[in-house]
Parts: sequence; C-alpha cells; structure tokens
Amino acid sequence: MAKRLLRIFGPLILAAILVFAVLAMPVNVGFSHVSATKEKQAAVSLSPNVLRGKHIKEAALKDGYVPFFGSSEWSRIDPMHPSVLAQKYKRNYRPFLLGARGSQSLTQYFVMQNIQGELRNKKAVFVISPQWFVKDGTRKDAFGYYYSQLQTAEWLTHFRTDAIDRYAANRLLQMPAAKSDHFIYAALQRVADGKQLTNYQRFYLQTRKNMLTQEDQFFSGIDLPSRNLSRVNQQAKQLPTHYSYSALDQLGGRLGREATGDNPFRISDKFYKQGLKKEVKTGSLKGFQKNLSYTKSPEFADFQLCLDQFSRLNTNVLFIIPPVNSRWQKYTGLSETMLRQFDQKIHYQLQSQGFNNIVDLSDKGDVPYFTTDTIHLGWRGWLAVDQRVNPFLSKSQPKTHYAMNDKFYSKTWQQLSPDDLSQYEQNTK
Amino acid sequence: MLSFEPYGNPTYFALLGVALLPLMIGLLYGKRSRLYETLISVFFLLLTFGGPKWTQGVALIIYILYEVALTWGYAVYRRQKNSGPVFYLMVILAIIPLTIVKVTPAVDHGQASLIGFLGVSYLTFRAVQTMMETRDGTLKNYSLMTFLQFMLFFPTISSGPIDRYRRFEKDYRSVPSREKYLGMIQKGVRYIFVGFLYKFILAYYFGTMLMPKLEIMAMHSRGGFLNLSWPVLGYMYAYSADLFFDFAGYSLFAVGTSYIMGIETPMNFNQPWKSPNIKDFWNRWHITLSFWFRDFIYMRLVFWFMKHKVFKKPTTTANVTYIINMLIMGFWHGVTWYYITYGLFHGVALVVNDAWLRYKKKHRESIPHNGFTQAFAIFLTANMVCFSFLIFSGFLDKIWFTK
Repeated sequence: MAKRLLRIFGPLILAAILVFAVLAMPVNVGFSHVSATKEKQAAVSLSPNVLRGKHIKEAALKDGYVPFFGSSEWSRIDPMHPSVLAQKYKRNYRPFLLGARGSQSLTQYFVMQNIQGELRNKKAVFVISPQWFVKDGTRKDAFGYYYSQLQTAEWLTHFRTDAIDRYAANRLLQMPAAKSDHFIYAALQRVADGKQLTNYQRFYLQTRKNMLTQEDQFFSGIDLPSRNLSRVNQQAKQLPTHYSYSALDQLGGRLGREATGDNPFRISDKFYKQGLKKEVKTGSLKGFQKNLSYTKSPEFADFQLCLDQFSRLNTNVLFIIPPVNSRWQKYTGLSETMLRQFDQKIHYQLQSQGFNNIVDLSDKGDVPYFTTDTIHLGWRGWLAVDQRVNPFLSKSQPKTHYAMNDKFYSKTWQQLSPDDLSQYEQNTK
Repeated sequence: MLSFEPYGNPTYFALLGVALLPLMIGLLYGKRSRLYETLISVFFLLLTFGGPKWTQGVALIIYILYEVALTWGYAVYRRQKNSGPVFYLMVILAIIPLTIVKVTPAVDHGQASLIGFLGVSYLTFRAVQTMMETRDGTLKNYSLMTFLQFMLFFPTISSGPIDRYRRFEKDYRSVPSREKYLGMIQKGVRYIFVGFLYKFILAYYFGTMLMPKLEIMAMHSRGGFLNLSWPVLGYMYAYSADLFFDFAGYSLFAVGTSYIMGIETPMNFNQPWKSPNIKDFWNRWHITLSFWFRDFIYMRLVFWFMKHKVFKKPTTTANVTYIINMLIMGFWHGVTWYYITYGLFHGVALVVNDAWLRYKKKHRESIPHNGFTQAFAIFLTANMVCFSFLIFSGFLDKIWFTK
C-alpha cells in the first residue's frame, strides 16, 4: 500500500515542494532578462500589471527610460504625446508611462517603493491632475485596483518610523485593499503606531516579498497589451521628419481642427459623440460642477508622500499642471476662482519645499486645440509640455535643494482654504 | 468569514486536501465515518453558502427541507397507493422553486430571485428523479438520511454531475476494498490535475485572455451584414473552448473529489469533440444532464405518446419528443430568446440527424463511408455545436440589440 500511495502522491508532493522552493527563493534565477521590445511595449502599455509589478519597470528604467507619473492623460495618444515625440525624434530619453485612469498620489507613492534605486539622483516627470483633489481624495475602489501587495511588502521591509511612513500606513489602513493579507494588515497597524515590526512579521514579509517578486518576474511580462505601442507607431508617421516647433504647432492646430468638428467645446468629436452629446442635448450637465472644489482634500497629504519620497531619493522632478478646457468649464459652472486657488495652494506646497520645476498650464484652457477632451491634454497641449520636458530631460540640471515640512500631512493643511494661505504661511514659519 | 467559489482557488484545494486526509486513511482501513463525512460536508457548504452569501445559505436550507418533505411524503404515500394525479402534483410542487428562480429574471428586469442559490437546478434534478423512481417502484427503501446525504453531497452540489439516488446509495452504504480504493484515489488525483489544466490554464486562456479581446473587436466591427464580422467567428470558437474547459474542468474536480471520498460519481464528459453526429455528441457532452433528460423526459414522453396513440408513425413521435425535450432544456437554461433558440436548434438538429441516418441506412451502397467522410462528419458536428454555443452565449443578443 505504501508503495502505491507513494506512486500516487509522490509526484504531487515533489511538485508542491518545487513550486514553493522556486517561489520562495530569495535570488532571481533566469527569466530576468527583459528584451528591448518588451520594454518599449511596457513603457506605453498602461497595463495595471506593469504598474503593480517591479521587474519590467526596473529593467526599463535602468535602460534609459524616465518615469512619467500621472493618470488618465497618458492614454490620449496623438502625434504630440511625449512618447511619440521622444520616439520620432530619437531623444536621449524615453518616457515610461506610470499610472492610468484612477491612479492618484497614494498609488504613485507605493509604485515608487520598488523602483527606488532607479529614482535615486535621477529625473522624473509628474502630472498633477486637479481632479484628484476632490473632497474625499482617491477612490477606494480605484486604489484597490492598482494596489500591489508586492509594493507594500517591499515598503514594509524598508520603512522608517517617521511622520511620513506613519501617515502612509494610516492612510493605507483606511483602504479595503490593505485587508487583502491579514499579516500585512497587522504589520501596517504596527507601523501606524510608530512601532517596529516583530521578528515573525519580518520573516513573513521577507518570504512573501520573495514569492511575489518571483511571481512578478515569471508572469508580469505575459500578454502585455500591445495596442498602445502600435498607436504610438501609427501617430509617429504623421510627424515631419525633422523637428521644428512651428511646423509641429501648425500640425497640432490642423489635426485638432480636423478632429474637433463643430462641437461647442472644441474637443475631439469622437469623445464628444461618445460621452457628451446626449447629455448636452438634455442639458443635464449644465452647471453640474458649480459646487465642485479642488481646494480641500486628503489628496494634498497623499501628494506630500510623493514629494517626500522624491526628496528622500533626491529625484529631480518636473511637475505639470494641466488646464481644464475653458468652454467646458464655463458650461459646467466649474469655478474659475476655485481653479486659481487650487493652483496657488499646490504651488505653495511645491515651492515652499524647493520643488521649482513646474510647468503650469492651468491658464491655457482657452488656447485652441490645447486639450483633446474636457480635461486632458492633447495636440498643442502636449507640444507645450514637450517644450519643457525635452530640455529638462535632455540637458543636465542644477542640483536640487529640498526643504521638506511635515505640516503638509496635517488635517489643517488638507482642509485649508486658499484664502487663508498667507496667514498659514506666517503661522507655520 | 471566509467564502469561496467551489474549486475556485488554491486555498480551497488546500483545505480540501486537509479535510480529505482523515477520510482517506479511514477508507484505506475499511472504515467510513458518517459523522466525519457530515462534518466536512457542513464545513464546505458553509464556505460556499456562508459569509457574504448567507442569503443563499438560508434559501438552500429552506429548499432542502421543502424537497425532503415532498420526497419523503411521497415515498410514504407510495407504499399504500399509486395515483397518477398525486404523482404529477408532487412533481410539479418539486419543480416550482426552480421554475420561480428561472422565470424571475425574465419578468423582473434581470433581477435574480431571492429563493435562488448556486446549484438549485442540480438539486431539483436529483429530487425529481428520486420521486420518479419511487413511482416506478424501482426505489423501494427511501431513507431520509441517505436522501439528505445524496442531495447535500458537497463535491457535486453546485453544478453536478447529477448522480442517481440508487447508485449513490450503493457506494455510500459500502466501503470499497483497499485495492479498489487505491485505484479510485489514483484516478481521483489524476482527474483533479487534468481539471487544473482545463480550468486554470486552458479555460483561463480562452475565457479571460482571449474572449474579452475578441468581444471588443467584434463590437467595433459592427455595421456589416447582421453586424457579423470575423471576430464574431473567433469569439464563437473561444467561447466554445472556454465553456468546455471550464465545465469539464469543474466536473473533473467534482468527480475526482468524489472518488477520493469513495463515491464513484459518474463522468460528465467523454471526448465530446470527436462525435461524428449530434446524437453522439449528446452522449458525450454533459452526460449526466442529457441522460437525465433522456430517462425522465424523453423516454417518458415517448411512452406516453405511444400509450395514448397520439401519433401514427413512431418516427413522428420521436421527432416531436426531440423538439420538446430540447426546448425544455433550453428553457431550463433560462427564459431568454437565445437559450430557447439554442434548445430549438438542437431539437431540429437531432430530427435532421435521425432522418439522415435513416436515409443513409436505406442507401448504404451509394453513400461512401471512409476516413474522409468520418473526418468531415466530426468537423461538421463540432462546428454545428460551436455555432449553437454562439447562440447560447448571448453574444448575438449583445451585438444585435445593445447600443
């Protein structure tokens, strides 16, 4: 009987041991090479698997790709999109697009956790969407969608007991996604309380991290979406062989004119017909953003996490603040004053801590063909971005001097009315 | 509270392995512990119907009490009397809950019925069959406890295979010899591992990776003749592959687990894609369901039609019954135009197939029969089946009637 049982279960047990051994192995074996084609594909794929993972990002960033943090704007691929321009004109950098619809500061903070080596003393681009800064900040389901146990486990193996990481742990604990692993949840509670992890927790996290790292290495490159790469190649064909700002500006104007048709907002007709036409006819959208505000939000503190991470790693970052299409803004009643105040508040948070590379396009909402839809950059907007991104990344930049301040985690700052900004500045000096 | 789809993830299988270990050791030493079997059954039922799905759990308990009352009541009654109307009434009562569950979405804007739970159809099949065999007199010693074990046998509760009361009872009341049981373990483990390949690799590839892409492509290519396009064809094959590997994989888990518990639950699939005709296909695809329909609907209807001399020719009787039988199967899947069309399609296919076989028998000399015609028959049958699955998938509904 024993012999027969061994014949039945022997292979099964052996397989289980092998799988566990391979997954729990602390070193990477084979499969570590990421081909140039795969990197190219991953850089524009906007795939959540790439964002949640480590292996492909890490390999690409080592090969001259530059992290472009942001969200939904990256999917607006037209000839002036940063990825298209960099490819066509053989720039010495290639954007690695990080983030997609619904990804906000908190997601990006955790994304940074397992590419620290590739951010240290390097450059990055970061698009700040004003739309992130709504009353409740990041949506819990959107955060959950991009949540990565790998990144959290990695962060938990190198966190510090300071205000920054305590805030991050507390914030994460508010998210349902944090409960996906009971041990990680317990570890987060200790970090939030300012305690060190227990030995057992450290051992568990290390093992879990190894397993997730191996999984990421084996599987994250499978079935990468290739649609965006073919879109980039397609769009690049429309560009003139040699770079010339005036030619591109003209081309942007022409493409914009062709794509926008005669809809009232001067935005891409395709987008208009899909998402807005019907509502505009019934008038249900008129004035619907009247009471919307981007000035009081937990997102300000989440965003501070990203800034602190950049400061810790001495990353030189170019920030981009995109505009809202002004015809749309007037139609929906979105307050002009509020938008300006948001701009002031975010400028203060950036500049008072030494982040001075800011491309503020917030006043360009009325430039024709600057936005491709209601809130996303397109054609001339992308070209304006390129005007600053290209020199920033191509040329060497002066050393940065960051002066971080934990006051930006406070409830007071999150909820501060921009009217009281100068008062606040005085009080917190 | 933990909550799982049956056979849904590695944790479920790990728990299953741990739970089955003592049972296996017992069976190897010739012991079957009813108490332990009941305990793990309750545990796995709780995993499936507890936690966030507790409403389904309540529905299951009420449903089981109801069906037990009916079958037990009928068994007691049948010992003294045997009246047709009483029998019909009991069968109707037994299928009322299933009918409500199936009709509710059609009349209530796709809303699922409150009394529904995962596996309600399969339990109804088991209860009705118990009743019918009680009427026939083939099932004489109905036991309440065995019936409960038969209904609530957790490996097959959610989606079959549909076992038969008497067959189940025979296994359940005995302990296989050690030699035989070792063979059963071996088969069980192999079935479960083939199931892994089917469900977690092949069905995942076709269903989760391929199908959504083809769906998007097909939706984008609408506008041609009947909104059809090449991606629709691709979707048809991907859907068929997904349906087969997903369901066959699940069935392998259920049968494999049963074997390890010393119960030889019948197989549900037997290489359906090599059927040379549609009749043979139904002997190989979802076997326990089609045999259930054969034994308890088709045969009974044919018998009834013949007894009352409704049709003159036996072929007419067979043809009408085929259509009715498959229409009922269509309705059972759900009250939507595509399930019903699917049933009708297979009913007609069976009629045409029978006519062709008769024609072929008559003209045996003039119709060639060789390797090529055999291959062509298999190819044609497989494609007909895939086409019927395209109807079944509801995808045509989507490309025709959604904006």
